[in-house]
Amino acid sequence: MGAECRYEVAQAAYIKLVLHALKHRCSPVSGLLVGRLSDDDASTVQIGDAIPLTHSQIGLLPSLELALIQVEERFGAQGLNVVGYYHANERYDDAELGNAAKKIGDHIFRYFPRAALLLLDNKRLEELLKGKGRDLALQLHTRDLSKSWRQAGLDGGNQLTIKEPSANVLLLDYISSEKWQDIVDFDDHLDDISKDWLNPDLFK
Amino acid sequence: MVGAAEEAQLNRLESQVDNGGGGAWEYLCLVRKLKARRSEKVLKHGLSILNDPKARSRLGGEEWTLYEQVAIAAMDCQRLDVAKDCIATLSKKFTGSLRVGRLEAMLLEAKGAWADAEKAYARLLEDNPLDQAMHKRKVAMAKAQGNISAAVDFLNKYLEIFMADQDAWRELAEIYVSLQMYKQAAFCYEELILSQPTVPLYHLAYAEVLYTMGGLENLQAAKKYYASTINLTGGKNTRALYGVCLCSVAINQLTKGRNKEEESSELQSLAAEALLKDYKHRAPEKLPLLSTMLKNMKLIS
Repeated sequence: MGAECRYEVAQAAYIKLVLHALKHRCSPVSGLLVGRLSDDDASTVQIGDAIPLTHSQIGLLPSLELALIQVEERFGAQGLNVVGYYHANERYDDAELGNAAKKIGDHIFRYFPRAALLLLDNKRLEELLKGKGRDLALQLHTRDLSKSWRQAGLDGGNQLTIKEPSANVLLLDYISSEKWQDIVDFDDHLDDISKDWLNPDLFK
Repeated sequence: MVGAAEEAQLNRLESQVDNGGGGAWEYLCLVRKLKARRSEKVLKHGLSILNDPKARSRLGGEEWTLYEQVAIAAMDCQRLDVAKDCIATLSKKFTGSLRVGRLEAMLLEAKGAWADAEKAYARLLEDNPLDQAMHKRKVAMAKAQGNISAAVDFLNKYLEIFMADQDAWRELAEIYVSLQMYKQAAFCYEELILSQPTVPLYHLAYAEVLYTMGGLENLQAAKKYYASTINLTGGKNTRALYGVCLCSVAINQLTKGRNKEEESSELQSLAAEALLKDYKHRAPEKLPLLSTMLKNMKLIS
């Protein structure tokens, strides 16, 4: 089912996840993607928002379980589900999707069979920052029939699109004004509950 | 480990320096003392002191400490030209110094010349086999190259000699968690709790690993260590309060309520109440979310 499925990322989700990774440059970061199937075309998943989770170990269950429960509760009322997971690796030159990330993907897959894993692509992000590239700084991974995660789009097809074409321009703007300092993730919330993981003021 | 109060102080000083309010040297000292990683700021403010002969001479002997600090920050920011200049200055002043030798080897690392760096460390270690920082560089180097199993080997060998190094035990535990080797991670945290029984962080980390491993016995132990974290922090640790709730739900699911001891325990409802109270004061907009969740867990009615 992976092949015919398309993913449309909203600008807000894209910018949030890149800024989250930039805030914690020397740690792995990860978060959840929320969204739903498109009304017009049931093979398109609309990724509407990103919820930053952690900037430390992703191999531990408790905070992940809490985040899943709370995110589902918060967005379920709006008809949105957890539709995927994003991850940025600890090392700059590491472009592989780790085992822990895949396991989290498997878990989400059980509830949402079109789940997507997005991995931050450091090379493309660097090109963007230099003003060269125009592609999204993301790799899409989907689960194939043999139940393993594969990078999509390697055969030239493009399953991952952005809703607003100006997203990269806006992203560069946010980066140059050091907006990444304001990103709050679920980890931060657990350390200090007055910090809101929904980041309601980020785009104001 | 930087405490919340210290971090607030550091942030305050940082914004003061950023806005031209002075105190750059105090800021740099605090960064060193807390071992914080603020390389970009250190590079910027440290360099402006080093480039100003008057300010530099005011430091007296501390000048060399600053050269070292800026060199390391520069390597972290990939400003290898700056690092090279700093190290050259230090090398002129302290010829044949072990500490400068380490910086030179680190510069090789920063350039990605792994084999040369390895040779340099091996040479330095020959004369000083007990230099802890050097051994740790070898671990870091293996990690930087993505060779995690080598990093684990080095750390284990290192800990055979320097058993009391708690940071190294923590690092090893975290690597094991990232490899999903939870049993080994749990062992590391057990060592840490034995050597420092009153550090809540170790109790909490141990509980989280036990919870992740699952199974009735581990969950029961996890709940106890979450409880001891609550005890050691005076009930201020949100993760531990949540942890007790999660554990009791998971235990009840496994025993299907057959466990009499569990049912009669007040711990989870007290933890739930503490969470509610905390959220009411400090995060009222998240309170409805929390109470729905606790209701679904049947911890409050």
